[in-house]
Amino acid sequence: MSTALLEIEDLTKSFGGVHAVRNCTFSVPEGQVTGLIGPNGAGKSTVVDLVSGFGRPDSGRVTFAGEPIIGKRPDVISRLGLIRTFQTPREWRHLTVMDNVLLARRRFADESLWRSITRARRIRRAEEAERAAVRDILDRFQLAGLKNELAVRLSGGQKRLLEFARMAAAEARLIILDEPMGGVNPVLGARIGEAVRQFAAEGRTVVVVEHNLPFIEKTCHQVVVMDLGEVIAQGPFSGLRDTPRVVDAYLGMDQSHE
Amino acid sequence: MYWVSVVTEAGIFAILALGLDVIWGWSGDFDLAFYGYLALGSYLTFVLTIGKPKPPVEYILGYHLPVVLAIVLAMVVVVGLAAIIGAIALRNLRDIYFAVTTLGAVSALYLLVENYTPLFDGYNGVYGLINPGQTALNLTYNGYRIAFLVVVLVLLFLAYLLVQRLSRSPFGRMLRSVREDERASAAYGRRVFGAKYRAYLFGAALAGLTGGLFAIFISAFNPSAWTPQELLVIYAAILVGGRGNPRGVILGVFVVYIGFIELTRYLPSPASRPDFGPAMRQILIGLMIILMLRFRPEGLFRERPGLDRYPIENGAPIPASQRPAAPPGLRSEERGTSERATREGGASKAGRRRAGKTERAGG
Repeated sequence: MSTALLEIEDLTKSFGGVHAVRNCTFSVPEGQVTGLIGPNGAGKSTVVDLVSGFGRPDSGRVTFAGEPIIGKRPDVISRLGLIRTFQTPREWRHLTVMDNVLLARRRFADESLWRSITRARRIRRAEEAERAAVRDILDRFQLAGLKNELAVRLSGGQKRLLEFARMAAAEARLIILDEPMGGVNPVLGARIGEAVRQFAAEGRTVVVVEHNLPFIEKTCHQVVVMDLGEVIAQGPFSGLRDTPRVVDAYLGMDQSHE
Repeated sequence: MYWVSVVTEAGIFAILALGLDVIWGWSGDFDLAFYGYLALGSYLTFVLTIGKPKPPVEYILGYHLPVVLAIVLAMVVVVGLAAIIGAIALRNLRDIYFAVTTLGAVSALYLLVENYTPLFDGYNGVYGLINPGQTALNLTYNGYRIAFLVVVLVLLFLAYLLVQRLSRSPFGRMLRSVREDERASAAYGRRVFGAKYRAYLFGAALAGLTGGLFAIFISAFNPSAWTPQELLVIYAAILVGGRGNPRGVILGVFVVYIGFIELTRYLPSPASRPDFGPAMRQILIGLMIILMLRFRPEGLFRERPGLDRYPIENGAPIPASQRPAAPPGLRSEERGTSERATREGGASKAGRRRAGKTERAGG
């Protein structure tokens, strides 16, 4: 097993009297796809929020690439190379598809107010190369013909693809996907699965929160199961069916749905 | 000369509106303290240039600085005040909470200036900056007013170039992304507060400049010159011209100032009702806002996203089976328009109708 890129130790968070996350401990090996599953309300999304800086845990430690990141702002964590999505695609609605992906390229130095005034021409020239790269990415996600459309005009499925195009453009070390298959049809689902596997093939580490178990089984190297804010199992998907607590909490219930 | 004065005033307010549009149009913050920055800039330009007060008049400083230097110093102080208000209001407050906080800030400033006379002589205000440099330039009174108009228009043009350059820059794009969805912006590494703060200070600097120009223009300034209504007229102008579009904002100011404020002076004003004209003006501006929101909520010029000109056809070939569903025949302008309609007009029927049309066309 490769070394852990993300390590979560004893993470705890409660909202009022509700223990959303309790002594949650697991690690994410570098270069692999880790599935984070569990019934609704298990605390999966809260863990994602705490790890990415969108929430503050009551206690616990999170290390990303050897650096403690608890208490850091989301933008700081993002700049370290951790990018997350949200349950619903959060595209920048009244910007074009091209601008959405250009922003994901994250050329922070060129976004300085002062440089934007004094170095406008140089920045514009540098951006041509960025645009070419973005066109290739849009091509990959079947969005090339929509590059000048406002993102808000896209269909739900296209917005998912735009989310993945932004992810691909961001070239992050760790990608956390919060329910990427929510409301997605099977054809698009297959494409999203491919995109996740390609991220892994490029050497990126992926954490994916998902309810779609066939997708998890096909895509993830290991799975972390949560229930009532606790991690109840961790390991390869194939081993989970033999764990009674997992079957009780999640698999049994979910299989009746299939 | 009347029209010289009207165009000068509109030009000054156009610079102000460009600054406000960076804050409201790009950054998305409905700032109600903004006119306070103009007022402070104006007061400071006076007290830095008109010399010591003669009792019973009282105000601070009372220097005899060159007017250009005074305006620059005024801008610095205005940006300093904006830095304090912005640091408090922009950190966690958004939407109505931000608006109320800035309104509170400007109300406090207003009450302070009005009641604490040693500052800017309270309700009487400051005066006496009459055509600075007129004798040095050897101009007649009218010649000076025309020269001042030219200066204002040149400054407006420079401000436009500056704002337009920013609008198309990565900074402008990043700021608009923060307006659209700041959590997503943070997830992609943007420091939301920092972005909004910089935009706020930039806008305030333009307000400070406008205050200085306004001081020269009206040569007297007191609390009645900066009631909250004045700012709403600027917001109306941005709305009419096109929020987020610098060209539209300038056009909007000229339309509102010349079309509504000045032309309504020609309305018949019966002697028994001297307030008929001003009242009518307010009604007309209100009516205009309603009509714009109903029929053209994106403004005369809509915000224009930077388009990627690289032809789609020449890109890597897209397999026919994977080609996106949207037809190339639909003009992007029409889509943008209908979209702004649904966003800004909310439940407006026209917006829904147009959105429906494009959605059907878009498949």
